[in-house]
Amino acid sequence: MASFGWKRKAGEKVSKSVVQQFEADEEAGGEGAGQGEEVDWLHAIKRRREVLLEDCAEKSKRLKDEGALLAEQGRHWEAVKKWDDAIHLTPDNPDLYEMKSQVLTILQEVFPAVKAAEMAVKLRPLWWEGWQTLGRAQLNLGEVELAVKSFQVAIHLCPSEPTLWQEDLAWACKLQKQHLATKEKIRQEEETKKQILHAPELEQDFDFESDEVLAACEAVAERQTRYEELKRTAVVMDSEGNIKNVLTGEGGSEDTETLSEEQFVKARGL
Amino acid sequence: MSTQYSILFKQEHAHDDAIWTAAWGKSEADGTETIVTGSLDDMVKVWKWSDEKLELQWTLEGHQLGVVSVDISHNGAIAASSSLDAHIRLWDLESGKQIKSMDAGPVDAWSVAFSPDSKYIATGSHHGKVNIFGVESGKKEYSLDTRGKFILSIAYSPDGKYLASGAIDGIINIFDIATGKLLHTLEGHAMPIRSLTFSPDSQLLVTASDDGYIKIYDVQHANLAGTLSGHGSWVLNVAFSPDDTHFVSSSSDKSVKVWDASSRACINTFFDHQDQVWSVKYNSNGSKIISAGDDRAIHIYDCPM
Repeated sequence: MASFGWKRKAGEKVSKSVVQQFEADEEAGGEGAGQGEEVDWLHAIKRRREVLLEDCAEKSKRLKDEGALLAEQGRHWEAVKKWDDAIHLTPDNPDLYEMKSQVLTILQEVFPAVKAAEMAVKLRPLWWEGWQTLGRAQLNLGEVELAVKSFQVAIHLCPSEPTLWQEDLAWACKLQKQHLATKEKIRQEEETKKQILHAPELEQDFDFESDEVLAACEAVAERQTRYEELKRTAVVMDSEGNIKNVLTGEGGSEDTETLSEEQFVKARGL
Repeated sequence: MSTQYSILFKQEHAHDDAIWTAAWGKSEADGTETIVTGSLDDMVKVWKWSDEKLELQWTLEGHQLGVVSVDISHNGAIAASSSLDAHIRLWDLESGKQIKSMDAGPVDAWSVAFSPDSKYIATGSHHGKVNIFGVESGKKEYSLDTRGKFILSIAYSPDGKYLASGAIDGIINIFDIATGKLLHTLEGHAMPIRSLTFSPDSQLLVTASDDGYIKIYDVQHANLAGTLSGHGSWVLNVAFSPDDTHFVSSSSDKSVKVWDASSRACINTFFDHQDQVWSVKYNSNGSKIISAGDDRAIHIYDCPM
């Protein structure tokens, strides 16, 4: 009875040949049951597994194509669902993970996108498209360094692919440069701040002469202005990839002024 | 001298990332053996081979991206490296200092190979041109045009007469260096040729391709002399033994195979790497083989003499 339900559910989507084969199988199965005790159970089980494997591959392919169609129509979540079903049937097919990763990236599901692409390259490590997709997913996750590596692996496998050079690697390198420049600026900022709060001139010697204190205060004030300058700048990259520290608008200046007053009180307190 | 093939030494974690290229040279000055490796971690490393072990001598920083190819000059004094950052750098192996940095232009540096007199470096390029740089001048001296696709692999014949290039579409070109003329174009493989090498007597050319086959050509007549199968995946590198009777190949099937040049049979397979093996080379007398790959390990094998 269960098989009857399946046929009705599948409806027109099942090709004629599959239906015929199914019916033939069912008949064969019926005959087998009729023969009673003479069934070769061991063999029957073996054969059934073969049939099942073939079904999985075919069904997975159908689900993959359906998913691709859905993705083209912008129905991304439905596509992912189809591919997940397909992955369940054929867990070793890298195409499925790669397609899924692309769509997950579109959906801004950044971490699952990286996971899916990682699976794709693990299953087929010589496939440059897989590495490209992994790099793009990593870039979306903010893992610029890893993305640069993945794009390089893709290029190493297929150096004649211009998009890899001109779009993927070039863009990722630019982001990496910007990332490094921002990091350097934050480091500088923190270094200066630390020196304002713990002025090296005032540290060791507690028996101050007035001119020493004056000199120390001057040094602190100088650092203060430098810190404020740093605070007011932002790392900006122009279209050619040159990095500059640019003064930002007035907005932040008030905050820094109040902050600097507080710190001056502290410095004087010494 | 050993009587059978065996693994002699393993340097695990030789780089922080996949090793893409390796070269083995011998110094004319003091006879020391030097190995140079290049990796996806942007580094070129120089190792000394002495007392049957590797010792790191220099870590050469400078390349901004992964190092695709390295070669050592025939007197063992200079190493050349090319990177995805489109620069070819020359290094003094004695001092570990950079001698020159040559901007090859966008995507115009892939494999590098020293000419037999070590005065020039040949490199393949994107548009099918073989660019020849002067070691002394640090500039592009001239170029040979295959009118083909991206050139992945390059080799000089040891007698200095020929230069062979292998392209991403599987086409092999052989140039006469003296006249700069294209002598032969061979449609050897239908897939990328990652490596090619001449025999020491310059009579044979061996090619390695993503199609999993190794082919042997008779250089003078441009005849196909043999097609060898055995690797289960891309053949990534080939190198001829100085004894003229063997060559070695490495593959993405994680194996290194040694072949007999006359019988064309695989006489030994090393299955010691955990991942793709990108590079394989002989030492100067053919008693050792080096291999390196994605598992970041350098292996040294003993060869029967």
